[in-house]
Amino acid sequence: MSVDWLSILDAQGNVDESLEPELDTETLEKFYRTMVLTRMYDDKALKLQRQGRMLTFGSSLGQEATAVGSAFAMKPDDWFFPAFREHGVQIARGIPLSLLYIYWMGSEDANLTLPPKNFPVAIPVSTQVLHAVGAAWAAKLKKQNIASVVYFGDGATSEGDFHEGMNFAGVFKTPTVFICQNNQYAISLPREKQTASKTLAQKALAYGFEGIQVDGNDILAVYSVTLAALEKARSGGGPTMIECFTYRMGSHTTSDDPTRYRQAAEVEEWKKKDPIKRLRIYLEKKGIWDQSREGAMIKEITDEVEKAVKEAESYKPVVENMFKYVYADMPLHLKEQMDELQGFISKRRGDESG
Amino acid sequence: MVDVKFPDVGEGVTEGTIVKWLVKEGEEIKADQAVAEIETDKAIVEIPSSEAGKILKLVGKEGDVIKVGSTLASLAVPGETVKKPETGAPEKPTEAKPAEAKLLEEPTEVKPPEVKPQERPAEMPGRALAVPSTRRLARELGVDISKVKGTGPGGRITDEDVRKSTVTEAKVEVPQAPETRKPEAAPVEIAPEIKALEERIPIKGIRKTIGERMVLSLFTAPHVVSMDEADVTELVKLREKEKKMAEEKGIKLTYLAFIVKAVTVALKQHPYLNASLDQKKNEIVLKRYYNIGIAVDTPEGLMVPVIKDADCKSIMELAQVSEKLADEARTRKIKLPDLKGNTFTITNIGSIGGIFSTPIINPPDVAILGIHRIRDMAVVIGGEIKIRKILPIVLSFDHRVLDGAQAARFMNTLIEHLKDPDLLLLDGV
Repeated sequence: MSVDWLSILDAQGNVDESLEPELDTETLEKFYRTMVLTRMYDDKALKLQRQGRMLTFGSSLGQEATAVGSAFAMKPDDWFFPAFREHGVQIARGIPLSLLYIYWMGSEDANLTLPPKNFPVAIPVSTQVLHAVGAAWAAKLKKQNIASVVYFGDGATSEGDFHEGMNFAGVFKTPTVFICQNNQYAISLPREKQTASKTLAQKALAYGFEGIQVDGNDILAVYSVTLAALEKARSGGGPTMIECFTYRMGSHTTSDDPTRYRQAAEVEEWKKKDPIKRLRIYLEKKGIWDQSREGAMIKEITDEVEKAVKEAESYKPVVENMFKYVYADMPLHLKEQMDELQGFISKRRGDESG
Repeated sequence: MVDVKFPDVGEGVTEGTIVKWLVKEGEEIKADQAVAEIETDKAIVEIPSSEAGKILKLVGKEGDVIKVGSTLASLAVPGETVKKPETGAPEKPTEAKPAEAKLLEEPTEVKPPEVKPQERPAEMPGRALAVPSTRRLARELGVDISKVKGTGPGGRITDEDVRKSTVTEAKVEVPQAPETRKPEAAPVEIAPEIKALEERIPIKGIRKTIGERMVLSLFTAPHVVSMDEADVTELVKLREKEKKMAEEKGIKLTYLAFIVKAVTVALKQHPYLNASLDQKKNEIVLKRYYNIGIAVDTPEGLMVPVIKDADCKSIMELAQVSEKLADEARTRKIKLPDLKGNTFTITNIGSIGGIFSTPIINPPDVAILGIHRIRDMAVVIGGEIKIRKILPIVLSFDHRVLDGAQAARFMNTLIEHLKDPDLLLLDGV
C-alpha cells in the first residue's frame, strides 16, 4: 500500500521536463500574477488587522501554489468549497478583492454577491467536506458534467465530518476532489501528532479511492494533479484526495504566536522552498519574465490592493442582508426575526433623535 | 493630524506592553510602516500606521503597558501644518459637550493633541457604542447608556463601564460630590522627591509563582483555621537526650523531624487530611502515600521542598532529608521533582517568630500545618500550676473537603503523639 508523490518544479526552479505540463505563456503569467496578488492581498490584510481596521485573519503566506494551482485547474462550473485559508483560490476564481476584505472586516454581506458555484468560507473545521460531497452527489444524480472541489487542512483529517464525507464519496463514487492543504500544523499541533498514518493521502485508500501526495509549493505539480483528478471526476471515475505538502509560513491567525510551538530553523528551511520564487526562476529561465516586468506588476498590484481596501472600507453593511442570503426564499422564522430587528433599530433611532 | 491607535490585535486582548519603538519622533514614515512592537497576552506584534506622515509624538516609553484603543503615536499627514505639541503635557480627555461634539463634524480645524476634544464616538450623546448585551445590562440597571464613558476598543462601552456608572450615578445624588462623577480616578501624581525614596522591584520568578499559587489557593479553597497548643515537654527531653547521638552521626536532630513523623501517623488515622480535590470530576482523592512539603524561607522567597514517602522514613532519616532539602532550596540547587508531589505541607513559622498564624493551603493539598516557637508556659495540671514546654500549632484546611470536627480530631491525634513521643515508637512505621 502506498501513495504516489508528484513534484515537477523543484525549489531551485528546475523543471522535470518529462512531467512539465504544456502551458502557454499567458497561463504561466496568470499563475504567477495571481500568486503574487494573493501574497500582497494577504500582507495588506495583516496590516489592516494590526491597525484595527479588520478582524481576525488567517494568512496563506507560503501556500499560494496549492491554492492558485488547484484553482486554475477548475472550471467556473465546478463547485468550490473553501475552509478559510483559500484566499488564492478565491482570487483565482474571480471573487473581487474588495469582497474578500469586506468579509474579513466582519460583514457577511460579502457572501451575498459571490460568483455562482463559490461557497462562503467555512470556519468550523471540515464541515464543508460534507457540503462538497453532497453537491457532487447532486451533480451526479442530475447528470451534470461537473465536479466539486473541497479544501481543508491537515487537522480536518481527524474530524468525523471528513471521514463521513470521504466514505460517502467512495461508496457513491461522487465527482469530488478532496484537497488537503497539509501545512504541517493544526494551529499548534504538528502533523506527526495529528495521525499515526505515514501520509494523509492514504486515508483515501481506506475509503476505496485514490490518494496522492504532491509538492504543495510546486504550482505545476498541484495544477497537473488537480486537473487529472477533476477530469477523472467529471468522467465518472469517482473521487480523489490530493494531499498538498506545504507549509504555513505565518501564524495560524492574527491571534496566534507560532514562535511558541515551532523552531525558527524549521521556518528558515521552508523559506528556501518558497512557491513564488521558484516559479519566477522558471519564468525567467523561459525568458518570459524579468525585473522590469516584475516592477511594473508589483506597482499595478499595489494599486489594485489599495483600491480594494478603499472600496471595502467605504462599504456600508446592510443589516437585513444577513437574513436574506442563506435561502432563495426567506422562511417565515427569519422574516419574523428580521422584522423584530428592524423594529428595534427604528425604535433606537427614534430614541436617539428624541 | 492622525493618531496611530493600539487596536485589539488578538480577539479579546485588552492591553499590551510596548516592547520597542520602531520609529522616532520627527521621523517621516510610510503608510503601513510599523511604529512599535507590542507584546500582548498572545504574541509580540508590530503595529503599523495606516497613514504616511511625520511622527509628532510617541506615547509612552518601552516597557509601558497601554490599553487597547489608546493612542500609540500622533503623526502629521502630508500637507498638514501642525504646531508641535508641548512635550510632557499629558492628553487630558475633556468631557465633550454637545456643542463641542458638533464641532467634530467639521474636521477642518487642526488642534494640538492636548486640547483635542474627545473623539470617541461613545462620548457623543445618542451615539453610544456598545454591544446589545451591554445595552440590555444598562437598561436593566437603569443606566442611560448615552452618558456612559466607554473604555473598550474604539471607545466601546463595556459591561464594566455600565456597572461603574451605576456607582458614580448613585454618588451624584450626594450633594457636593460631583468630582466623584469621573469613572476613572485621575492617576495619583507622585512628587519626584517621593519617587526618589521608593524602590520598585519587578515581580518575577519565585515571587510571581508564590503569588499565583496563593491567589489560586485562597480564592478557590474556603480556608478555616484551627489553633491549638501541644505540651511537648517530654519531646524536648527526648530530643535533648538524643541530640548528641545524632550529632555524632552527622545529623541535626530537629523538632521538625519529630513533627513530620507525628503528622504522618495522624494523617494515616485521618485520611481526609492527606487528600486533594478533583474539581473536574467532583471527587475527593484520598492519597495513600505521604509526601510532606516543608516550607523553607530562601533569599528568593518561600520554597516548599517535598519529603517523599515520609511515613516510611525514621525520625533520623527525616531529620537528615529535611535538612538536605532545605539547604538545596536555599542555595537554589534543588531539583524540580523535589519541589513537586506534596500531599500535605508543614510551615515552620516558629523558627522565626510569631505565636499563631493563618497559613494558606499549598495546592493541591487540602490542609497545611503551621508550627510555632516552643516556649515555657505556666500550665494547670491536676490543679497545680506547672511550667511546661508549649508548642503552638495551627491547621488551615479546605472546608470543601473537611469539616471542623475532622480537623480537630486530626489535631488531637497529632497533639497526643507530640505530647507522648513514645507513641511514635508504637504507631510509627
